[in-house]
Formats: sequence, C-alpha cells, structure tokens
Amino acid sequence: MTELISLTGVNKFYGDYHALRDIDLSIQTGEFFSLLGPSGCGKTTLLRTIAGFEGVSDGVVMIGGKNMQGVPANMRPTNMVFQSYAIFPHLSVAENVAFGLRKKRNMDKVQKDTAVAQALDMVGLKGFGARQAHALSGGQRQRVALARALILKPKVLLLDEPLSALDKKMREQMQVELIRLQRHVGITFILVTHDQEEALVMSDRIAVMFEGEIGQLDDPETLYRRPNSRRVAEFIGKMNFLDADVTSVGDRVTVAVEGLGICDVDAEQAPAGITLGKAAVGIRPETLAILFDGEATTRETIAGTVDEVVYYGDMTYYDVRIAGVADTLNIAMKNLIGRPVLDVGAATTVVWDARSLVLLP
Amino acid sequence: MSLRIYAIAYLIFLYAPIILLPIFAFNDATIIAFPLSGFTTDWFKALLTTKALHTAVQNSLYIAAVTALLSTTLGVCAARAGAMYAFPFKRSILGLVMLPLVLPEIIVAVSLLVVIVQIFDFGLSNWTVIAAHVLISTPFCIAILNGAFQNLDPAMEEAAMDLGESRWSAFRLVTLPLVMPGIISSMLIAFTISLDEFIIAFFLTGANPTMPVYIWGLLRFPSSLPVVMALGTILVALSIVLLTLAEILRRRGMARAGLRDKGGFL
Repeated sequence: MTELISLTGVNKFYGDYHALRDIDLSIQTGEFFSLLGPSGCGKTTLLRTIAGFEGVSDGVVMIGGKNMQGVPANMRPTNMVFQSYAIFPHLSVAENVAFGLRKKRNMDKVQKDTAVAQALDMVGLKGFGARQAHALSGGQRQRVALARALILKPKVLLLDEPLSALDKKMREQMQVELIRLQRHVGITFILVTHDQEEALVMSDRIAVMFEGEIGQLDDPETLYRRPNSRRVAEFIGKMNFLDADVTSVGDRVTVAVEGLGICDVDAEQAPAGITLGKAAVGIRPETLAILFDGEATTRETIAGTVDEVVYYGDMTYYDVRIAGVADTLNIAMKNLIGRPVLDVGAATTVVWDARSLVLLP
Repeated sequence: MSLRIYAIAYLIFLYAPIILLPIFAFNDATIIAFPLSGFTTDWFKALLTTKALHTAVQNSLYIAAVTALLSTTLGVCAARAGAMYAFPFKRSILGLVMLPLVLPEIIVAVSLLVVIVQIFDFGLSNWTVIAAHVLISTPFCIAILNGAFQNLDPAMEEAAMDLGESRWSAFRLVTLPLVMPGIISSMLIAFTISLDEFIIAFFLTGANPTMPVYIWGLLRFPSSLPVVMALGTILVALSIVLLTLAEILRRRGMARAGLRDKGGFL
C-alpha cells in the first residue's frame, strides 16, 4: 500500500476556538478509513479540510504527493457525499449523476450517458435516471449521491455521516453495500461517523477523535480490545471500569483490582510505559459471564447479586453487584437454549478471566 | 355571527372605494355622483389620445423596470449572505437594511431631496426616482428572497463545487435555478411598488412626471376626474395581475424544491 493522504501538524482555529489540534495522519491508497467521535470533536472539520471547503490555520495537507495549500475543492481529486446528500432537486437523477461530467470535454454525449448508466447500475438504481430527484426516498438519495461522486473516479471518496439520516434496517444494509462498493472500485474511502458500531463494521482503520485531537488510531479489533485511554474505552462499546493499583511491572504486570483481587496480566494488556500506582481496569461485558445451574468453568469465579436485568431478545444484559465494588458489573449473556432469564435479586456466580482485563492509565 | 358581520363590514370598508373606480370609469357623466347616468367607454378613449399621459406611463414603466432589476439584485446578495454566511453584526446589519420598510415615505422623500439637491447638487431626473424606489423596494425583495434562500441547503453549492464547478458557476447552475421563482416574484413586487409609488416620485421627479404624479396633476381639473377613474381601473387590474403572478411563482418555486410553504405576501 502506498500513502495517498498525509496531514502533518494540522491546526484549525475558528476565532479562539481550537477545532483541530496538531493532527498527524497518513491514509493509504484503497483504505477504508473512519473518523469517529462525538459531535463537536472536529471530525467533520477534518474531512472538510481534506475536501478543500475549509483551509487549515497551520500544517500541511498532501493528497497524492501534492500540497493542497490554496487548491480549491473543485481542483482536488476528492469527491464528497454530504450528510444532507445535497441532491440538486431541480434536476433529474441522471442529470444529478452527470453533473460532474460537465467539465469533461474529452467525453462525448454517448460516453457520458454510458458512464451515468454504469454509475446508477453500480449503486443499484438501474433505470432510475429519468426520475425527478426530489421524489426519491432517503436511501435512494444516498445512492444518487454516491453515484454522483463516484462517476468522477476520485482518488478519495469523502463520506460525511452518510447513513445517519436512514433508519436502522436501511443503515445496516447500506453499510454492507458501501463495503462491497469500496472493494469493487478500490477507491480510498474516508468516513465520518459518530456511530462506533458503524465504524467498527466498515473500516480498515479508525481514528477516534476528541476535542480536536486524535485519541487513538488503530484497526477495529485493536481499538476494541486494547483501547489506550478511558475515553476511547467509554466511547467504543460498553466497558466496566474498576479501580486498580499496579504493584509490579515487567513482562507480566501485577495489579490489585477492586473486588477481584490480585491479578497477573500480560504486559500487552497494559498501556506502554505504565507505572506503579493508581490505574483503572476495563472489562467488556461479553468477557464476563454468569454461571448458570449445571454449567461448569475452569476460570475465576466470584459471588454476586443481580441488580438489574435488560432483555434484548438474543442477549440479556445483567447488572451484577459484587462485594467490594461500588458500581455494578455489566454482563452480557447470550440467551442460549436452557438458560433462564434471572430475576432481580437472584444470587449468582460471576465468571471472569484476567486475560480479558484492559489496564488503562 | 357578530364576527362574521364584522369581517364583511371590514372587507366592504377596504374594497368598496376600489369598486367605485370601475363603476365611475364607465359612467357617462363628468360629475362623480350617484345615480349613474349611462354606460360609456369615452374616458378610456380619452386615455388613448392624451400624449402627456403616454409619456408619464412610459416614464413609470422605465423607472419600475430598472427599480425591479436593481432592488432584486441587491436583494439576492443580501438574502444569500444572510442565509449562507455568518459574519459580525449580521442581525443588526440585516435589520438596518429592512428599515425603509417602516420609514414614512415622506421622510425618505424629503431627506433624499435635501441630500440630492442641496448636498450633491444633482439635477432631478428619472434616476433620482429610481434610486429612491430601489431604497424602499429592496426590503420587500429581501423578505421574499429570504424565504427562497433560507430553504436552500448550503451544502448544495458546495456539492456543485466538489463536482468541479467554480464558485460562480456553482451559484449559476444550482442556486440560481432553485431561487429563480423567488427572483421573478421579487421583481414583480418591486415593479408594482415602483409603479404605484407617489410621494417619493412627487418630490424627486425631474422634468417628466411619473404616472401617479401625472394623475395627481389631473385632479386639479374636475372635468378630468372620470379619466383618472379609467386610468385607476387599469392600474388596479394590472397590480392584481402582477401580485397574483408573483405569488403563484413563489408557491411553484417552493413546490419545485419539494419544500413546505412558510407564508408569503398573499
């Protein structure tokens, strides 16, 4: 893979407001890259500086080895799918898709029509060309916006929360379609989203942003299994937090965890450069378990009491209180055959494993 | 029930005087009084043969057309800036632009007369009337165009630029067609305002009076009153047609962009 986009020391100010702080980023050709974060974290601003709608106050944006300083949006090898889709309502679907071809003087009408038909076919809108744009549904608008952007064969496709306006079913369907489309066209996709699940499902790599800076940049699995800070762990998936005290470091790290006792974990489970003293330990709800009657385990167990039960159909989430811990532990259990849904107040045995602990600074 | 009577009385009070216009325009008598004495189209024929009136009408049409063009252009700039950009003192600036809407026209007329004649020492001409008419009709244009621009997704122009168009062609290819019904509606309103306006024109008109000023001049001769009635009838009809056209266009524009109607002038 070769580097396609690089951002070096990018800062952006709106008056006194520091929207982007020292962003360094390298995105590879053909990568599906996501910018994930809560609203106001600067992810859309970052996307817009790549697109050329916002200048940078400081730093360098390079696309395909060229410095983008002073290059306006219409001269950049990027195309964007807007959050509102920005479909031109006075034009037909085909005219919308063909909009970017206006400047292509080396294409004749027949070639353009063929390109439009191919683009519509690619997004599953074959035969929709003659329809009026304002009569389309949300999902169809989204597809038109995709076709309109992809017809120009950009080096980078920028997607600004493209699925947020769709309902859950439609969103999940479009996620799969977008991944398939990206593999098919081989274009670099940069997706902005506040939906951590969407980012995990779709991306090769994810940059998690908070308050204008990148908190962690990793592939989805590393991000989920080894968050590097409490705010990343909180933002991505569910996580139980326990107070802890690091007592020795080395190849193995020894840590005294609130409620669980002394644990010996691999150095990989701890952040680089961890020091002795106060720390936090994170445990994902699905790495804990409740021991039902008739089930056995070779792992660690601890006694607890069910405090809250949330039934999801395929899963049940239990909040379980264990001795010596102020907060309850959230535990996700699959509703397998023979497993009852426990009542509030039931005495249980919680199964845990030191291998699933994540030490956080 | 009493409310209904009130509403009907209110409408009669508003429109009865206007209904009198066509009645006496076709009445065969120089004195404006009941009973009616017979039907005639003489007064309309008299309109056709009055040279001075023709000059006045031409003058008025010229002034109204230029006013419509200028004030709508200014209105487009103001409405676009207001809808798409954030800048310091935006609200106060837009408020100041709308002020002529509530200023008494006589004040505007007198102060403009002072400024133009005393301070700048310009001669009065059609252009002085146009300048003043632009001043009073621009707020109406902004009000109409605001509706058109406020409903516009700012991402629309960005999308056009993203697809390779320059800033100007993005505006021309995307924004302009979408606000065009608003622009035409704004031009029609400005045209109507300028055509009917009397006080400012009376103060600022040069050697050639506008139509309302000419009518006012006729009023000194009681014998020409029925002619004025005939002219008034034509003017009222024209105004109604223009305003209706403006509103139809505004609504069509909303529907075209697939938007919800949020009011207007009619």
